[in-house]
Amino acid sequence: MLKQKRDKSSKREHNPYRRRLLFFILLGWGLLLLGDRVSELRVYQGALIAIYALAIGSLILLTGYSGQLSLGQGAFMAIGAYAAALTQIYLQPPLIVTFIAAVVVAALFGAIIGGGAARLSGPYLAGTTLALALGLPTLANLFSFLGGETGLYFDVGIAPERFGAEFTLYKWFFWIAALATLIMLFFIQNILKSRYGRAWKAGRSNPAAAQLVGLQVGRRKVLAFTISAGVAGLAGALLGMVSLVAPSTFTLSLSFAIITGAVLAGLTSLTGSILGGLVLVVIPEIAEMVSGNFGESEAVTANFPGLITSLLLILTVLFTPNGPAEQWHHHKEKKKQKALEKAH
Amino acid sequence: MQQVINVFLIGISIGSIYALMSLALVLVWRSTRVVNFAQAGQAIVTTYIAWEVVNRSGSFLMAFILAVAIGGLIGGLVESGMMRTLFKHASDGPVAAVAPVIATLGLLGVIRALVGLIWTNEGKRFESPVSTAGFVIGDTTLPFSRLNLLIIFTAAFVMIVFSIVFQRTNLGLALRAAAYNPEIARLSGVKVSMTRTIGWVFAGAAGAVAGILLSPNDSLTPYSLDVLFVFGFVAAVIGGLESLVGAVVGGLVLGVGLSFITFYLGTSLVFPTAFIVLVVVLLVRPSGLFGVKGARSA
Repeated sequence: MLKQKRDKSSKREHNPYRRRLLFFILLGWGLLLLGDRVSELRVYQGALIAIYALAIGSLILLTGYSGQLSLGQGAFMAIGAYAAALTQIYLQPPLIVTFIAAVVVAALFGAIIGGGAARLSGPYLAGTTLALALGLPTLANLFSFLGGETGLYFDVGIAPERFGAEFTLYKWFFWIAALATLIMLFFIQNILKSRYGRAWKAGRSNPAAAQLVGLQVGRRKVLAFTISAGVAGLAGALLGMVSLVAPSTFTLSLSFAIITGAVLAGLTSLTGSILGGLVLVVIPEIAEMVSGNFGESEAVTANFPGLITSLLLILTVLFTPNGPAEQWHHHKEKKKQKALEKAH
Repeated sequence: MQQVINVFLIGISIGSIYALMSLALVLVWRSTRVVNFAQAGQAIVTTYIAWEVVNRSGSFLMAFILAVAIGGLIGGLVESGMMRTLFKHASDGPVAAVAPVIATLGLLGVIRALVGLIWTNEGKRFESPVSTAGFVIGDTTLPFSRLNLLIIFTAAFVMIVFSIVFQRTNLGLALRAAAYNPEIARLSGVKVSMTRTIGWVFAGAAGAVAGILLSPNDSLTPYSLDVLFVFGFVAAVIGGLESLVGAVVGGLVLGVGLSFITFYLGTSLVFPTAFIVLVVVLLVRPSGLFGVKGARSA
């Protein structure tokens, strides 16, 4: 069985890199074509889906692979957003540089905090990152250059002229967000399939055994935290671009939403992250439709999405703890094994 | 000097609320090895119920008793309804370690949404049962008020009740035994599954007291106890997450410390300080001030 599986996987890994690249390029192309056919609001929501998907991807890397649950992705997103906005305001470099600055600064903070986090497990890490997510945005009030409650405006400018006059601002946002997300997810996907990804998995499932085969589990955990923070920082910069770089953007609810999306999509499969982003944007939409039927009550509009997503979160973790996709995969694998046993 | 004493007393007052929340977290941790991220959510329900009762009947005492009873009930229901299913289904697999955290976060979301649906997200003013004006000595008015005094006395009363239950009754002995070593407790005839539920019941009640003490003279929203949770968690970690005494001491130390920071350095430094304290304690002395070494492996 094992041998057979290895043969199969080696065949599949014939050229996984090119296959993945092709997949992402096709996906991006499809999305961009779609961007021309839908309304402005949908384009904006498309950008949000991309941003959420990226943030969820960062959490999947951290939690699903390296086994560290962070409730503070919102904090790293905030760091990225402020880094991007400040770079933009004071240096006015080309756009790509601001985004790189967001990634680098957030990753730097991630490395520092990850150094401590690697020693914590389960609930301790969760509690610490929760305190971070709740506390960090309040720092904006402490330093005047961070803009206080009103925050900063991260201005990416309008689209270059060559895209034509009909190219709206939201479409420009969508292009940037979708492109950044696709590139980053491609990058994460490749890391996860590399020896780093395997080492994270090993350290997560059995730290002692991983240590025995010579993996430096602690150092790898810090690395995972750093990369995850960097990716989250980029997502934060993108979110700051479409909304506002202010404490009100990077609330605890944002961190919770990202965890919800990641769990619903399946913590162990990166492909789910786009689905997770979709869920996070679609559910409030549905809730709005439903609350419309109840007479536009503000309490319903504000709380119905939370109710649905939280219920889904509980049900998912209770009955398919590894995410629906993984569960299905597991189920299929089992069936195959049974069929194999029967054949013998 | 007088001001220092004042700040200290106010710190004790707010710290005793943190201590109660921290006590709730420690009780849950001892009984099921879970940090209950929904603890503040459970408390928000009972606090809203208390607000409703105070508004309708005007009796703070009745509101208090009802809130504590319902808090205990919710705690028991969550353990027997949700956590047991969770432990049955998610005992292994890649995300087993994080499943309880996620489940309790989900519960927090559900509770908040339901509270928001029933009472809306608008801030409610929770009137204080006693005067919030400071005591007057001679011709100086102190910031320390009757409300602060009431908070300290109520919290102390609850803690005394808890310590009697834990130290002097058979139930307390069973709870301590089950927390210390579930396997041996089971062999000596303790119904461990029942002690788990009871741990959650006590925690729910303690959280309810914390919520109802924090809210008077303040605006009550579905999110207003988030901060209490974080400080309760920090206090619990300072105390080692294992020890009930440690939870109380941790809460008081944190309350007094943050009170001094608020008065002398400003409110904006409260969160950063709490965070730094949390990280330093976790890195330097991960078993807390009162914890047993090696207790942090879970």
